[in-house]
Amino acid sequence: MSPEFVTVAKAADVPIGGIAAFDVAGTRVAVANIGGTFHAFDDTCTHQQCSLAEGDLEGTTVTCPCHQGQFDVRTGAVLALPPPSPVKTYRVRTEGESLQVAV
Amino acid sequence: MADPFVIIGASLAGGTAAATLREEGFDGDIVLIGAESQLPYERPPLSKQYLRGEVPFEKTLVRPAAFYEENRIHTRLGARATRVVPAERAVELETGRRIRYDKLLITTGGRTRRLPVTGRDLEGIYDLRAVGDADAIRAEAIPGRKAVVVGMGFIGSEVAASLRQMGIEVVVVHPARTPLLRVLGEEVGEVMAQVHRDHGVETIFEDTVAAFEGGRRVECVVTKGGRRIGCDFAVVGVGIEPNVDLVTGTGIQTENGILVDEHCRTSLDGVYAAGDVANHYHPVFKRRLRVEHWQNAIKQGAAAARSLLGRAQPYEEVHWFWSDQYDVNVQYAGAHTTWDRLIVRGSLAERRFLAFYLKEGRIEAVVGLNRGKDLRRSVPLIKARSVVDPTRLQDEGVDLRSLGSDCEVPREHTEYGSLNLRSAL
Repeated sequence: MSPEFVTVAKAADVPIGGIAAFDVAGTRVAVANIGGTFHAFDDTCTHQQCSLAEGDLEGTTVTCPCHQGQFDVRTGAVLALPPPSPVKTYRVRTEGESLQVAV
Repeated sequence: MADPFVIIGASLAGGTAAATLREEGFDGDIVLIGAESQLPYERPPLSKQYLRGEVPFEKTLVRPAAFYEENRIHTRLGARATRVVPAERAVELETGRRIRYDKLLITTGGRTRRLPVTGRDLEGIYDLRAVGDADAIRAEAIPGRKAVVVGMGFIGSEVAASLRQMGIEVVVVHPARTPLLRVLGEEVGEVMAQVHRDHGVETIFEDTVAAFEGGRRVECVVTKGGRRIGCDFAVVGVGIEPNVDLVTGTGIQTENGILVDEHCRTSLDGVYAAGDVANHYHPVFKRRLRVEHWQNAIKQGAAAARSLLGRAQPYEEVHWFWSDQYDVNVQYAGAHTTWDRLIVRGSLAERRFLAFYLKEGRIEAVVGLNRGKDLRRSVPLIKARSVVDPTRLQDEGVDLRSLGSDCEVPREHTEYGSLNLRSAL
């Protein structure tokens, strides 16, 4: 059974170029808004567990504030060390005004 | 058959260089020689997560073990290269065996400086450079025991923090008024001193070790100031010396490391150097720098590999490093030795700030405590060498990214001093 979508915020709460983190069923999930398209992924950096939403979002790249590891927000892939592994990505959608994530 | 590309130093810089050669499509033979018996690993965890037993050694490897075989990188580990023989384009190992090279990259790093005091040979006194050192310190770190940490550079500071986190009583002895004084200055150094005191570290500053005393093992650290500190073990972190012995008499120029240009080339054709050992000319700062940090090992290791392949771009990365102590994330970018103005953005008291080291109106370097995002946004300001408005720099309401293009002035002033950024490993 695939996980259900949970409303985390209003879509307007994550404007274009913005990034924010939410608790979804016990998981910290970051949502980035790239030109109107939302991408959801683990907020917790795989290196030292810092919050990626506290870092910079440039294009489709998020940079961890603690040690400058970089991930592609679309795929979760590591773009720059030191993170040892990718972050998980999640399904995200808008439903009316609501921003919804499935973990 | 062509001779191989040989890399001396199975380190973060050396391992990264070997990997980069393959990523860049080099198809020839690669030999990676390492004095240590381990595959290349990262040293930053040795004073932090690995020391505290939070990550296994395998997690610190630069590349997984299988990578080297899959990429036909011939490793010769536990093999110390003792000298370079330019006339034969060969490297001589401790065993006397010679390995010929087509091109040679030296990434031999450094060795810990040894404190020249009585009793240094007693058991229970440790340096920290290699994984075995971290294992030995961890074995001593039984909760409730007491340690003396000598030197509050980055290694000493991180070890002190880790030992406190492991339940060890810690006394630090440090010659300057504050930790990290040479790099951070007194204002920021004092913040770090207070962080350690808040975590229960006893700090003895402006004092140095006169002797270690004990029977077979160290029992007491005696300072020149007359303090006698009983302890169960001691850790010494007083910096490293670059490993340059193997190029003595080769014509390869050395001065505080192996001298290289912005393409990682030494003064000898076909020989390159990168990482902690390389005193490199930096096009942004227009002087030589030798940097003992993670990012430089990776970026310069990769840059050197491209240089070996004749695809060199000038290596002009703005140096950057981090240090984690307790819940404090310290980051530094740039390169400064002196400054005429310190601008603080944020709050020293709340330990959430950026401190900019300015000289003649330009940012030479910045240090940040728990301000990683803004620190990163400062790097272009350093690289541009532009004069910045100190008022706006200080103003939290001004986005750092908007400060970039105030006034571009090329920097004519050229210095050839050298800077050692103590390692954050």
